Amino acid sequence: MADISKHMTKACDMSLGNAFVPVEYYTSPDYFRREQDMIFRRAWLMVGRMDEVPEPGDYIVREVPTLKANVVIARGKDGQVRAFHNACSHRGVALVCQPRGNTMTFRCPYHAWLYRIDGSLSAIPGEQDFPHVDKAANGLAGIHLDTWGGFIFLNFAQEPEVSLSQFLAGLDVMLDGAPFEQFPFCIRVTDEIDCNWKNLVNAFNEGYHVAVLHNKTLRPAVVPKDNPHLHYLDVKQFGPHSTGTVQRNFDYNPDAPALTWVYAQMLPTSAPDLDAIKQGRAGFHDHPGINRLKIENFGTETITVFPNISIQPLANGYLFYQFWPISERRMRTEVRIYSRHAPRTLREEYAMASTLAATRDVVVEDMAMSRLQQIGMESGGKTHQQFGQNEPLLRMFTRDYEAYLAGAAM
Amino acid sequence: MNHVQLPPQFAFLEPFVDDWGSLATQDERYRKRQDLSQAKLEAFHAALAPRLEEVFTYLDTFDPAALPAAEALLFRVVLGLTEASQAVEILGQPRIPHAPYPHTVNMEWVGYQPH
Ligand code: FES
Ligand SMILES: [Fe+2]
Repeated sequence: MADISKHMTKACDMSLGNAFVPVEYYTSPDYFRREQDMIFRRAWLMVGRMDEVPEPGDYIVREVPTLKANVVIARGKDGQVRAFHNACSHRGVALVCQPRGNTMTFRCPYHAWLYRIDGSLSAIPGEQDFPHVDKAANGLAGIHLDTWGGFIFLNFAQEPEVSLSQFLAGLDVMLDGAPFEQFPFCIRVTDEIDCNWKNLVNAFNEGYHVAVLHNKTLRPAVVPKDNPHLHYLDVKQFGPHSTGTVQRNFDYNPDAPALTWVYAQMLPTSAPDLDAIKQGRAGFHDHPGINRLKIENFGTETITVFPNISIQPLANGYLFYQFWPISERRMRTEVRIYSRHAPRTLREEYAMASTLAATRDVVVEDMAMSRLQQIGMESGGKTHQQFGQNEPLLRMFTRDYEAYLAGAAM
Repeated sequence: MNHVQLPPQFAFLEPFVDDWGSLATQDERYRKRQDLSQAKLEAFHAALAPRLEEVFTYLDTFDPAALPAAEALLFRVVLGLTEASQAVEILGQPRIPHAPYPHTVNMEWVGYQPH
């Protein structure tokens, strides 16, 4: 590749002049409340994959901590996937108590009201004492659900302002057919930490920190000589969402016996599979919406879905990160490491555990730094953060964040 | 469980059984890494990393779903290296700089029961 620098998207290329961002956005309880109402109750929120509920009767329970929502996602007899609040119509019990399972009915453990897999209320024990309850109108409370690329999105508005496809604003079109379903097996990593959720959103929207914060973990594998501050290349905007291309060092070859042994068993999620690339079976590698520049040392296309998701398609799977605010100074991180299959041998289990530990350590570095950032911002000496020309996606996020808080249409 | 012994040819891992042999989850191994000295992690790594292939050539002869007690103990000890090697080969220290201590992270293999 000739001069990579012309592909490094700067804030000025995107006409983003908002270099100074109030610290208050990251520390104020009032901003958190506005985020709940103006963003999280209005946007489409990704909560899972359709292949988590492949068969009729399959269900999962998901928390949406920002809204204190406890959600049942279930595939009906008719094959339709629906979402409900996990709350009994009688006196409110969160009746589905297993994180996942298969059933045709949900029975409340308090007084045994019985619901069908489609959420409708089928039986009330001692029904004569509830003459005022219309069973047809007392199913579990539904939540709007739609899907794209096998991902399940929820919308908590009474009526969504826009469809999921309108919300995705062309991101869905560019990535149509990306082979997420080739990587059905996942390991979920979750942690809660004392910081504002946007600290993590921002950390995943710039490569500037990678050579410093991830000096030992990521830098040797991903920061190339011709892009020492790891600018994202070819940044593309879709409404509030974006994608950007990130390089990688294909000659990364650590002098590390345990890691080398792992590579020989099963390539880590991110390590390029040179044979597969040559044979055209390298997962995301050949999708036209990914690596549009066709750079040779392609690492990942970092896909940011507003408000709280980052997806990184990689050589042997993909990483999914989600950042949920719990308060202005507490958040939950969920990372999912997707691979082609569950371990088939003890060698593969070791290799996947090793990749899990390595991936987790990188995310823990980001979370640790985000916590220090929160301490600094709350100390009160600074009123603003400053975003560089090399941090265009931070400016873009802030632009759209401000617009939604002010009531702009989704 | 206390009287379970490693398969005899892997007795060289005996000094590491107390640290790693009873840990059942990746998070417990991560916690253990944080509490061991770098010297101890290095000793474990030096003993095991060059012999991983030998260990797995042996373990290949067992059904992964039905490991006998001695082999299950061996595999649990060996899985400790997934954490120890991060400290030795990558970080140069047991804990992640600036991370809370003690730190736990929930790690769930969806639809698979790891050893
Ligand atoms: S609260 Fe569910 S049956 Fe009473
Ligand atoms: Fe990072």
